[in-house]
Amino acid sequence: MFKKYFKIWWMMSRNSFSAVLGQKLALSMFLVGKIFRFIFFFLFLYFLLKGTGSLAGYSGNQIIFFFLTFSLVDVTTQFLFREVYNFRPMIIKGDFDLVLVKPLNALFRVLMGGADVIDLITIPPLVILTIVYGVSLQPTMSGVLIYLILLINGFLIATAFHIAILAFAIVTTEVDHAVMIYRDLTNLGRLPVDIYKEPMKGFLTYLIPVGIMMTTPVKAMIGGVSVLGIVIAFSVGILSMFFSLKFWNFALTKYTSASS
Amino acid sequence: MKKYLQIFKISFEEEFAYRLNFILWRIRNVMQIFLTYFIWSTVYSDPAKQIFGYDRTKILTYVFGIMIVRALVLSARAMDVSNDVASGNLSNYLTKPVNYFKYWFTRDISSKVLNLIFATVEFILLFLVLKPPFLFQTNIAVILAFLVSIIFAVIIYFLILFLLSSIPFWIPEIGWGSHFLVTVVIVEALSGSLFPINILPQGLQSIILATPFPYLIYFPVEVYLGNISGWALFGGLMVAASWVGVLWIFLNVVWQKGLKVYQSFGG
Repeated sequence: MFKKYFKIWWMMSRNSFSAVLGQKLALSMFLVGKIFRFIFFFLFLYFLLKGTGSLAGYSGNQIIFFFLTFSLVDVTTQFLFREVYNFRPMIIKGDFDLVLVKPLNALFRVLMGGADVIDLITIPPLVILTIVYGVSLQPTMSGVLIYLILLINGFLIATAFHIAILAFAIVTTEVDHAVMIYRDLTNLGRLPVDIYKEPMKGFLTYLIPVGIMMTTPVKAMIGGVSVLGIVIAFSVGILSMFFSLKFWNFALTKYTSASS
Repeated sequence: MKKYLQIFKISFEEEFAYRLNFILWRIRNVMQIFLTYFIWSTVYSDPAKQIFGYDRTKILTYVFGIMIVRALVLSARAMDVSNDVASGNLSNYLTKPVNYFKYWFTRDISSKVLNLIFATVEFILLFLVLKPPFLFQTNIAVILAFLVSIIFAVIIYFLILFLLSSIPFWIPEIGWGSHFLVTVVIVEALSGSLFPINILPQGLQSIILATPFPYLIYFPVEVYLGNISGWALFGGLMVAASWVGVLWIFLNVVWQKGLKVYQSFGG
């Protein structure tokens, strides 16, 4: 089962890569744009922390590691779930019918059917940079392990968000702004959620669990999260996935196949 | 003049045709302010702290100032020009008795008025919720200089958008790519939307200040704060005016050359 789906994913991704690589100039524009955006924010943090020394009680390297962890979750989810951005035309034209009749999980197809090669290019240097800054914090072995597990939990929540956006698209035909609002919300996790005041901090930690996605893994690694905090993080991850799948199944019953 | 007034009215009403889109766009603007606000609020949590030439009141006024200046300067419709050029839709306008530049400038103004109304409401709401210390500028000369800097910023942004939109005359497929690179990434970073330019080292500041981007947000807000005055203010306004001149000449040359190679694909 896994082998079959991996094979299909690889095939769909190759097609998607070919389509993008066919427009080399556009690809380079977006690639340069993404790299610049990362560098600009990195430089901003670097010079800000050079002037202030620390932020919200965290050292310069810790703050940059928060930002790198955010970037890793953000870029990886964009790489895997880029197809979500193309879902609206499928719903409006009724082309989603063609997905539903195929002997393939429809959610898998619309969620992972178009991996983004531009994001893929940026992942390896980002991983290296994250490791370099992570090592500079001198974490324990168990700290690294809990960081990695919570990072996977973060990806799980990000996946749940994307599934919810797809379901929302079926019900309302709205995707573009929903995706961008999700991205704006997650952008608030570029830095530890500790910089926000209550009730916003609580909102970002538990209701829209940006904090659990991006802040908690780093805090757990540097010893800033209790066992209860880690249990809550996993519970939020599992619950968000459970409810987004429920929403997806509900949304499928509302699909009207308009225009097809 | 009358026809441009009609274009203004139609364009204004058109924005209301996609109400959900517009509201969601404004929600996004508010969320973008949150990160900037809380970063600076944390850095300046001590009201007596002075760093990068700002105190808590000035930096939070800078953040709130961004909301209004962004609505005035960066709200624009002229990015749609690239689509007109790439799709051949430009032909429809070339045959009509309207000046294409004036047409889009009028649409930009309409978008700015609407966004300014919403930004003002958001400003008041966020002000009531966050209760930041705020510098209300009372010096008439400074306010006038601020308004002049805004006019330059509006024109510079319009010219940048038109120049970018001219690229599809030669390479139709990179219309959105070039807008992403320049208006989403470079303008966001170098205009001062995310951070004031003067937190950067002097050398880097000088390079950025030689480009047109900081005259979109950073310079007007700094003028409002009273951080730029006297000869520095005069010099800054002259640089902004020079950019208007340079970009205008460059746009005219590029546009005329573009029209010569324009083939109205799909039009």
